[in-house]
Amino acid sequence: MNIFPIVNNGWKVLAGTFVVALPLVVPEMQVHLATEVLIYCLFAVSFNLLLGYAGLLPFGFAAMFGVGAYAAALMFNHLGSTPLVVVITVAAASGLLTAIIIGAFCVRLGGTYFALLTLAFQMFFYAVALKWRSVTNGDDGIPVMRPEFYFPGLGNLSLMNIHNLYWVVLFFVVLGILSAYLFLKTPLGNAVVCMRENEERAAFLGYNVYLTKLAVFSFAGLLAGVAGALYALFQEFVATTVIDANMSFAVVLMTIVGGTGRFSGPIAGAIFFMLFQDWISDITDYWRLYFGIVFVVVVLYLEGGLISLFNLDPIRRLLRRKTG
Amino acid sequence: MTALKLDHIYKDFSGLEVLVDISMTVEEGERHAVIGPNGAGKSTLFNIITGHYRPSRGKIHIMGRDSTGWSAHKIARMSLSRSFQVINNFPKMTVFENVRNAIVSKVDQRFNVVSFLSRSGKIRRQTEAVLEQLGMYEVRDVPAMELSYGWQRKLELALTLAGDSNVILLDEPTAGLDIEETRGFIELIKELTRGKTLVVVEHDMEVVFTLADRITVLNYGGVLITGSPEKIRDSEAVKNAYLGRNSHAAGTD
Repeated sequence: MNIFPIVNNGWKVLAGTFVVALPLVVPEMQVHLATEVLIYCLFAVSFNLLLGYAGLLPFGFAAMFGVGAYAAALMFNHLGSTPLVVVITVAAASGLLTAIIIGAFCVRLGGTYFALLTLAFQMFFYAVALKWRSVTNGDDGIPVMRPEFYFPGLGNLSLMNIHNLYWVVLFFVVLGILSAYLFLKTPLGNAVVCMRENEERAAFLGYNVYLTKLAVFSFAGLLAGVAGALYALFQEFVATTVIDANMSFAVVLMTIVGGTGRFSGPIAGAIFFMLFQDWISDITDYWRLYFGIVFVVVVLYLEGGLISLFNLDPIRRLLRRKTG
Repeated sequence: MTALKLDHIYKDFSGLEVLVDISMTVEEGERHAVIGPNGAGKSTLFNIITGHYRPSRGKIHIMGRDSTGWSAHKIARMSLSRSFQVINNFPKMTVFENVRNAIVSKVDQRFNVVSFLSRSGKIRRQTEAVLEQLGMYEVRDVPAMELSYGWQRKLELALTLAGDSNVILLDEPTAGLDIEETRGFIELIKELTRGKTLVVVEHDMEVVFTLADRITVLNYGGVLITGSPEKIRDSEAVKNAYLGRNSHAAGTD
């Protein structure tokens, strides 16, 4: 009997069950952490559409995350009765729109110029968030009331309950990650990879390099907007930290540490980044220093990132040899 | 109908004049070779026709339409495709995926986000047909960067021909191949571009004289002479500029 399919799919089912059932088995504190991890997973996956698949490295990706977070916070605050789904949709649209505006200027440029110009745009949005006090409250930020979430059959669920919040966040994160996954299987998704592989050749085959890059940048912005909205919901508070350079570089770091070559790389990276931060900041105030060391070691010695440690191919080959 | 018409094309790169007053026409179905010593401006000419550069002055018409200043992807979609002198493919993708990229563009699915690429029977069939035609089936699952040089040359040709364009520009298609390979390659090109307009830049005189109906000789960025292979072979000006000094094939002087 070939046990390869069982091994291959079995762990996926196990992992899926664990993720869904997590709030029931771990203490409440850890559910908080897990919720935050989920949000970063979506953020990093959307970022990796650019870095891993399109070959674009934006240093200012928090702009879309932040705009999504602010859009959601403002709606929760001023239009309290709006259903959550509508808020998320508006946040997604804000992320999309921001990405179209920024992308229209930036995706023409390559390499460093692209990276730095996106950073410049992000700093511009940061300055707006900081200075436009009448709307954003500047440094003081906007407090957010978590709304109730209507679930067919169960009625209104309070999101003040961290378990409910976890599942709602999980739902949107899975939806976002799934759409990114499916996007890559479409002809446009393939065109995006062509941009990374050889944009000159692609252009001479008839691909519009500019529009293709703008499309993926916008889509990534949309998903980042959703992640931002979920973050606002989770933190119950939005301030300039959602749109500053720290946020931009956090997603760069977690994605690269996780590995850009595989779809699951940024997920592994986000989990590692958050758990490592959580664990080591109990011990020392200088967690960034230690994360930096890990980052350097991974970049130097672990081509493919942390996810390559979970490479099942050698095991698969072994199993195949034994059974076949 | 005129497939390709260049009208007094000039190109200078910040003062350095690379092309000077180039006018040429290529009729539909013609096989035209562009030859000339190194630095004569052949590659620049290709880059101007295909939209990689803009001419400093002059007009370009492709199949009767003014394409001056158009971007490369727009020109590519006007049924004009080119190959490159230096291998230029999607290195990490397999041969099948490389050719499929060209087919996706040909069937106008570049921005399709509502269906899966791997599920499209039409795209798969057309891709396989191209691989079959070029005899590349045996390497279909090999990543392009792992192919031998000869296969990469073939892939270059496959990418150029897959879109079934009417006007084909080949930039030194046999560069780096040995004599045997070159001959096989030329037969393949002849066969696959039958009925199409072909413009080819070549250094190899054997290739040029077996492939071309008409030849344009460039020298110092200008057109030295245009005419039939016989006329070019007998031209004193060409002998002086090019064949006399460089060629081992023509065997003159």
